[in-house]
Amino acid sequence: MAAAGLLMLANTYLIFMWAPTEATLGHVQRILYIHVPMAWLAFFAFFVVFVGSVMYLWKRQRRWDALASSAAELGVLFTTLVLITGPIWAKPVWGVWWTWDARLTTTLVLWLIYVGYLMLRSYGVNRSQGALYSAVLGIVGFVDVPIVYFAVDWWRTQHQRLVIGGATLEGNLHPDMRTTLFFSLASFTLLFLVLLWQRVSMKRTETELEALEGSQELMGGRSV
Amino acid sequence: MRGVKGLLWPVFLVARKDLLVEFRSREVVIGSAVFAVTLVVIFNFALNITPETVDILAPGVLWAAFSFAGVLAMSRAFVTEKDQGSLEGLLLTPVSRDSIYFGKMLALFIFMTAVEAALLPVFAVLFDFSAFSPTLVGAVLLATLGFAAVGTLFSAVAVNTRSREIMLPILFFPVVSPVIIGAVEATTGAIGAGVSAAGPGRWLQLMAVFDAVFLVLCPWLFSLIMEE
Amino acid sequence: MIILAAPAGNIPYLFAAFIICWAVFFGYVFFTSRQQRELDRRMTELREGLEREGRSREGS
Repeated sequence: MAAAGLLMLANTYLIFMWAPTEATLGHVQRILYIHVPMAWLAFFAFFVVFVGSVMYLWKRQRRWDALASSAAELGVLFTTLVLITGPIWAKPVWGVWWTWDARLTTTLVLWLIYVGYLMLRSYGVNRSQGALYSAVLGIVGFVDVPIVYFAVDWWRTQHQRLVIGGATLEGNLHPDMRTTLFFSLASFTLLFLVLLWQRVSMKRTETELEALEGSQELMGGRSV
Repeated sequence: MRGVKGLLWPVFLVARKDLLVEFRSREVVIGSAVFAVTLVVIFNFALNITPETVDILAPGVLWAAFSFAGVLAMSRAFVTEKDQGSLEGLLLTPVSRDSIYFGKMLALFIFMTAVEAALLPVFAVLFDFSAFSPTLVGAVLLATLGFAAVGTLFSAVAVNTRSREIMLPILFFPVVSPVIIGAVEATTGAIGAGVSAAGPGRWLQLMAVFDAVFLVLCPWLFSLIMEE
Repeated sequence: MIILAAPAGNIPYLFAAFIICWAVFFGYVFFTSRQQRELDRRMTELREGLEREGRSREGS
């Protein structure tokens, strides 16, 4: 945790002080260094959800469900931040907060699917059922992503209302910018792994606690 | 031959059970058809549809109405089973989980297609387009198949949650968004508004791919969650 | 491509983005640490309960 925090601080220093300022876009381009790593990690998180869901359905062990649900939580957290920082970048550069292009729309649909995943967990009747149902959604959602992307991409090419110039996020990057981006990716990855590990071990503790409390109640009942 | 019949017969029986129940009450088909017409009236107010804009707006209105009506129909698919405890009975019969899935899906597909078939002529009159071009029929069938494939699985999931009326649409719409896009674009091509440059064929293919993927995935997942 | 703001003029956007991100991360860590405290509390309760039971059993 401390290492991840230190790395994030160093990362912030690199982003604000060390990386050169983009000539045409100005300082706002520095959002790239957090936006892009968070987007990649969000996709990685949903991949972890998929793996955890498949393994849970196969093995039916609680730890796979703990992995999948923790990754889904973090994936939604990162996607939310991607969906917030994206428009903040887009407004000064493109002139609009939002445009229905393939990547943005797919990210939004993805966010909705995994918010549904988290809601399904909390509205389940009991925990094992919630785990089972959310594993189903974790698989369906992940398989759906490429289809959504293709559909939205084709749809966009047919309805080009807003032409966006060459200012994509990953345009031509100065070597120093590239270094900063990869450093940022590394520190966000560490942060993600630390948070994931923390959530998973917390859920494991919770499981053990519940089992112990259950057995204690049984023992208490016997002694009375 | 016997193998194929042995596989299909239980599917038919499960679907027939749902259809017989529906013939008696007719609440799903009539309810969602009336709901779809209500939606069209609301869209008419909301979007101010005029003869100039009708070609652009009609496909969107059509599919918004169809998909909302579809969710209404599929939300009922497992509710009666759940409330009357007949799902447990169904699971005890020597019918495979896959047959239950495909039977329920077939019934849902028939309900939704019936609603859509009844509504298309109404829409054709209201929006002044020809309802019976082969592309449009293909788009309706492929999209409805996709809705039914995903909807059967999700309504089985949602019916066991505490707030099933809310969970079903929240889970359903993001996942079927490619089908809704494909159906709207194919319909636009079919009624000749001329926006769709690549032609509706590609959109029909997209929906066919979606249907194929989820007709494999959903029965498998359904049989896993119905184990207990 | 249209650049609406002068390069220096878009610094507020940059800060807004970073502040929101940090706020959300700290909020999340706060939320998880509160859950962790709750787990710790249950753990101590359980341990005390077990100790009490052990003592009463020795006494009898």
